[in-house]
Amino acid sequence: MIVGRPRSALVAVFLWVALWGAAAAQDPTGEAMALEALGLDSPQLVEPPAGPPIDGAELERRTQEVASLMRCPVCQGLSVADSPTDSALAMKEEVRGLLAAGYSDDQVLGYFERSYGEFIRLSPKPTGLNLLVWVAPILAILAGALLIAARMRSARPTGAGAAAASDPELDSYLERVRKEAGN
Amino acid sequence: MISTLGVGLILVALLICAIGVPVAFGAGARRSSRGLELSRRLAYLFGAVMVLANLVMEYALITHDFSVSYVAQVGSRATPLVISIVSLWSSLEGSILFWGLVLGGFTAAFAYLQRQGHEHYLAYSLGTLFAIGLFFTYLIAGPANPFAATPPPIPTDGPGPNPLLQNHLLMIIHPPMLYLGYVGMSVPFAMAVAALLRGQLGATWLKPLRNWLLVPTGFLTLGIMLGGWWSYEVLGWGGYWAWDPVENASFLPWLTAVAALHSAIVQQRRGSLKAWTTVLILITFLLTILGTFLTRSGVVNSVHSFTPSPIGPLFLGFLGICLVAVVILLALRVDTLVSEPSEDALFAREGAFLLNNLLLVAFTFTVLVGTLFPIVAEALRDVKVSVGEPYFNRMSVPICFGLLMLMGVGPALPWGQATSATIRRTLLTPLPAALVGLALAALLGGRDPSVLLTGAAAGYALWVTGARGTQAMRRRKGRGDSVARAARQSVLRSPRLLGAYIVHFGVIVTFVSIAVSSTFQSSEEAVLAPGQEFSIADYSLRFEEVVVEQKPHRLERKATLAVTDSGRDAGTLQPAINHYPTMREPIGTPDVRTSLTHDLYLTVMDIMADGRVGIRAIVTPAVLWIWIGVLIMTAGMGLCLVSSTPVGKAAG
Amino acid sequence: MNRVALVLGALFVVPLLIFLAISFRYDPRAIDSPLIGRPAPTFTLAGLDGSVHRLADSKGRPVVINFWATWCQPCIVEHPILQAGARRYSGRVDFVGIVYQDDPDLIRRFIAERGAWGPALLDPGSKVAIAYGVYGAPETFFLDANGTVVEKVAGLITPQTLDRILGELL
Repeated sequence: MIVGRPRSALVAVFLWVALWGAAAAQDPTGEAMALEALGLDSPQLVEPPAGPPIDGAELERRTQEVASLMRCPVCQGLSVADSPTDSALAMKEEVRGLLAAGYSDDQVLGYFERSYGEFIRLSPKPTGLNLLVWVAPILAILAGALLIAARMRSARPTGAGAAAASDPELDSYLERVRKEAGN
Repeated sequence: MISTLGVGLILVALLICAIGVPVAFGAGARRSSRGLELSRRLAYLFGAVMVLANLVMEYALITHDFSVSYVAQVGSRATPLVISIVSLWSSLEGSILFWGLVLGGFTAAFAYLQRQGHEHYLAYSLGTLFAIGLFFTYLIAGPANPFAATPPPIPTDGPGPNPLLQNHLLMIIHPPMLYLGYVGMSVPFAMAVAALLRGQLGATWLKPLRNWLLVPTGFLTLGIMLGGWWSYEVLGWGGYWAWDPVENASFLPWLTAVAALHSAIVQQRRGSLKAWTTVLILITFLLTILGTFLTRSGVVNSVHSFTPSPIGPLFLGFLGICLVAVVILLALRVDTLVSEPSEDALFAREGAFLLNNLLLVAFTFTVLVGTLFPIVAEALRDVKVSVGEPYFNRMSVPICFGLLMLMGVGPALPWGQATSATIRRTLLTPLPAALVGLALAALLGGRDPSVLLTGAAAGYALWVTGARGTQAMRRRKGRGDSVARAARQSVLRSPRLLGAYIVHFGVIVTFVSIAVSSTFQSSEEAVLAPGQEFSIADYSLRFEEVVVEQKPHRLERKATLAVTDSGRDAGTLQPAINHYPTMREPIGTPDVRTSLTHDLYLTVMDIMADGRVGIRAIVTPAVLWIWIGVLIMTAGMGLCLVSSTPVGKAAG
Repeated sequence: MNRVALVLGALFVVPLLIFLAISFRYDPRAIDSPLIGRPAPTFTLAGLDGSVHRLADSKGRPVVINFWATWCQPCIVEHPILQAGARRYSGRVDFVGIVYQDDPDLIRRFIAERGAWGPALLDPGSKVAIAYGVYGAPETFFLDANGTVVEKVAGLITPQTLDRILGELL
């Protein structure tokens, strides 16, 4: 037990520290603030990362991949990976940071999409109306293949009466004949 | 004075087209040779007047006559002479005037070269060409008039053409080649329309039709390649094709034209696919108008977009009229193009041609949907979406691979029915070459199955192309001729066959180079102080100094870097940042060291106040071979235009 | 009359022409912000003088956030407009400037010459710009008293637009 003069001194010190702490906590500028983080107040991605943190060559490779799927906002059609502009470089850094923390490609793209809109994705998400771009070419090939198959089937019964394989020399002779006959 | 002269000439051209349409179509309907003769004269006149009008504009540009509005727009006393000449096509109004020149030239050339025979097709063709000319001369005379007088006060100097166009010499040839290709598609279109109107597409009209389709395709091939090469050498992002909407617009008609050329071969041999070939040619022309509309209307997000102007809706109107006219024409007349009965067999060469058409048309459809989808999405969902490189690459790689395989399998197959033993033999013979290709791909470092498969397909296709291309020659040699004589005879007797295989060879080279260059590309970035160096691949790059040079039309800030290749001195490269007085942002120019195996590509990202520079270096293998491959293709197309020497003449 | 050709043709041609005609209404370069109607990303950034500004402190008042730079011509043109606006709405609306990819010394010199209309906050790494989906300078975001983004104006802002939006917010 501490009694007498040392005890009062201790209490005084304690009170002094408590008051200083309270004052510091309410201090809106200056030294106290320098300890606070600058930037966005809350992380823009509130969900947890889908995978473990990565680094090194793997990180670089995935950064390039994701950056090449994003449109550089200040360029004409270039991807973030290809663009040397400051905006693109800043975005690439952001991508790198998010991937390093373990976020998946989809999560990173989703983050940018929430700020920039669907426009930032260079490859349209295969949902809703966008399915048209993904499905239409395949449908076209199938339709074309069916058409060719149908044409093959209908042509086959005509058998052997087809035009003879053309002979270029005969053709040019015939052409001269036709010209002379006044086509 | 020049303004009045120019406007006058254009009005004369407009009048010629306006008269030409009824005269030529009438001559075709009534089979009048006098009408045809008049149409021909009008065609020559149209060509001559357009040439004169363009010469007048060139004169105004060279003498810096700022009283002409187009010169006030793009002229400048500071630009070098060559750039002044080239600025004819650097901006919208001038480029439409240039379009008129190419159209007039083709119309006159067509009327002259087809003057013998085919009278009844010819009249209808000329009528169609005059109708197209009518639209363009109207545009030049009215809404997009480059000859309009500059409103006073007349400036004493101008801003000069777009700085991007002053950066490189390739820009001088790229637009003319592209226009010769694009506008040239009007001629086969006119011929196809004539065939439909006449109700006949005989072998005698097919031959010139193929030639007149081949010529613009060749120019378009060159034009697209030059655009890619220019993009690579000038724009500084290290690539040559970005699937930009305007780039796609030039690519679409190329695809359908190539499809038409192939189905025309089937038509020539078997007499079938007449209607289909005709439809393809009509679509090719329509795609050129669509492409021009997309480029000039400002409705798509593109590097190449001209500033939106009132002629956008006019082009849409013209496109609409053309589309409706073509649909009605087909609905009414396509049944007249009756094909002779055929016996297509799935495994024979005809089937390969059909597959070729299927792939090319599917490719066209895919690129078209991708390019137009942002417009559809905005209209239906009110949201802006991007359809860019990742999408197009994903879609085009399998299709191109299919085409590569087809280039091997197709020519290997015999025409008509064949026993399965023969087919098996012809398909299996090239397999060793496929294995060699696969081995080479693996040796280069490829591990991805798609890279290895591409190597195999390329090897296979190369074998078949070489075998079929030299088949006649080897047969002659086998009969006792010397190699030289056999070769010369082959070229003289069947230039088209040889040309076709040369084109295929060029395509294979291009495909493989593109695959190699995109798979094995590497890049590095660094910030360097003077004297510092960094390395990429076998190169060591040391930054020496920044050289500042003031030219009359721009300020150049060049970063000099000393290049060392595997320890040996390899000269210097000077990527630059150019400042133009009329543009806020400077434009970077890369410097490229090209060798047969690869390119070293340097760009300046940043020149900082403390003297440091940010440099980006890219090493891309086989880039040169992409351009060479396309040049081989074009040379082959040229050979295809040569007529074979008839039997009696080729005695030596 | 080949009906197949007519139907196929119409099927392709009619939608194509309709879509192309509609496309004239849209500006391919104007992109809507997905943040509209959502809470604005709050931030704590340092100004040129080292003082710290917290967006959260503005709660209860509408906020105008303007991303700008000295290399951007429209930014220079709209500077006096923002100054007038800041004066007119002083005390009722907070005007906050965020520097977009520019050199702090250039900004300092600019403000010394032409005056300020609010804090000029530094955004290292453009993180706040990215969070707001900024496509270029200038871009102005309008927040209501609850901190929700109500509108974004890309490009030069006019006094009329400023008054209209702020009039609705107050």
